[in-house]
Amino acid sequence: MEVLRFRSRPIVGGEAEGPAVVIGSLSFYGEVDPETGATSSGKSLAGKVAVIRRSRGSTVGSYVIYALKENGVAPLAILMEKAEPIVIAGCVLAGIPLYDGLPPEFFERVRDGDRLRVYSDGLVEILGPRKP
Amino acid sequence: MYLTREEERILAGEEGEAKAKALEVIVKVGEAVGAERLIPIKHAHVSGASYMTIGDAGLRFLSRLAEIGARFSVPTTVNPVSYDVEDPSALPMVRLSPRVVKAQSEILRALEAMGAELILTCTPYYTEVPRRVGLREGDSVAWGESSAVAYANSVLGIHTNREGGPLALMAGIAGRTYFYGAHDPEWRKPRVAYRLETPKVLDETEAGVLGEVIAAQHRDEHPPLLDAPLGGEAALKEFSAAVGSAGSLAMVHITGVTPGDPGGAVEEVVTMDYGDLARRMEELAPGFEPDILYVGCPHASIEELRRLYRALSNAGERAGRRTVVSVSRSLYLQALREGLVERLRGLGVRFVRDSCLIVSPFSSSARGVGVATNSYKAYFYLSRKGVKVGLAPIEALPKLVS
Repeated sequence: MEVLRFRSRPIVGGEAEGPAVVIGSLSFYGEVDPETGATSSGKSLAGKVAVIRRSRGSTVGSYVIYALKENGVAPLAILMEKAEPIVIAGCVLAGIPLYDGLPPEFFERVRDGDRLRVYSDGLVEILGPRKP
Repeated sequence: MYLTREEERILAGEEGEAKAKALEVIVKVGEAVGAERLIPIKHAHVSGASYMTIGDAGLRFLSRLAEIGARFSVPTTVNPVSYDVEDPSALPMVRLSPRVVKAQSEILRALEAMGAELILTCTPYYTEVPRRVGLREGDSVAWGESSAVAYANSVLGIHTNREGGPLALMAGIAGRTYFYGAHDPEWRKPRVAYRLETPKVLDETEAGVLGEVIAAQHRDEHPPLLDAPLGGEAALKEFSAAVGSAGSLAMVHITGVTPGDPGGAVEEVVTMDYGDLARRMEELAPGFEPDILYVGCPHASIEELRRLYRALSNAGERAGRRTVVSVSRSLYLQALREGLVERLRGLGVRFVRDSCLIVSPFSSSARGVGVATNSYKAYFYLSRKGVKVGLAPIEALPKLVS
């Protein structure tokens, strides 16, 4: 498969490479277990490049993002359509790379387990589908 | 974003790791919303201080910040916590677990280590703090409590965005926030007006329900303009709390209340009828005999305590014994000096300071309990926790108890 490339806006810089976990909409508070990194829909953010199109919910979400890092179960990076203050605050404090402004095509293309590479200038690559 | 040399120095860590991190958060959020510069703030008010709301994640976050040496650069106050710090047994129907007390104490220690003043209230505007800090109309602050944000912008003419807990905290440490939204005079000019045709001045409960109606209708990014007779201090407080809980409005320009000129940018006028409001009031009226009469969400004003005393004096003693009031420590002291505390306690009224029925364990342990309150915000949050809630103004509350 050819490598697909997308542009994004770096908010918290940092490079990352790993398998994708894809979520349409997420409230970090209430829907993510800060001890394990598991979401209430049964996915895991730990060690993944988290593709979260939109976030919502309580401002306590910043604290949850920070706790994920402290507990060693944070995502490698978070990629969004639009990042809101709750997520930005959590990612800056936790030092989790955060990129937003990804186009709708990216969210339509990317699947759970796809190998993603994120560069600090905002370039995002889908390197290929999940390995069997 | 344009940064001053001092701000660049802070970001480079010359005033410590914690202040650099805090400013970095403010800058990143500011850049994401398109702000071009920062502005100094005079005061911060941090929400998310109760262990019941922020949990272990919040506790660790605050402890770690305190450990790396975070200190508030401006006077900073704090929202209510899980219980009355001086009298933990004051909460009705709650047995506090040692785990909650331990975790809450650690949160308070971390905030105190950072230099917060532990006035634990959602109504910092009823304390001595604004006078002491010298807050004046047009000043910028960073407040994280949604009801206080709407009150600051709409009633006091003090400028603040809805910061959310962590952001108000960071702004307090950095001493700055991003210039955007409520800090920008252009944003404060309403483009949509709401006019209520009403035969009467609205009491605090009607004002809260009006807040729900407006929050549900208003779609414009600028604050709404409101022409409606809101009667007194409690009505303004309850209206502000409702627009911040049922919706996410940071400001409503209320004719005759909000300082300053609305700016003449109104393009659309929506006329509302008192009948619509009255129908919603009926839906929310208590259809049961309440176990608890609750006043003080947000924390009660002196006016409310006086009215409550009058209403309870004319009622049977059962009503007084079922009444719970939550207030700030500062206002409690003022009421103590006026003899109001003694008189209300004499009628059986229970006072909860530093906390309230929403952020304490009450809300999660009182499933099925019936609460009547004058506060729309209390209705909004308690009913979502499975508590049975009905709305009525202070004067009507004692009559609900047979």
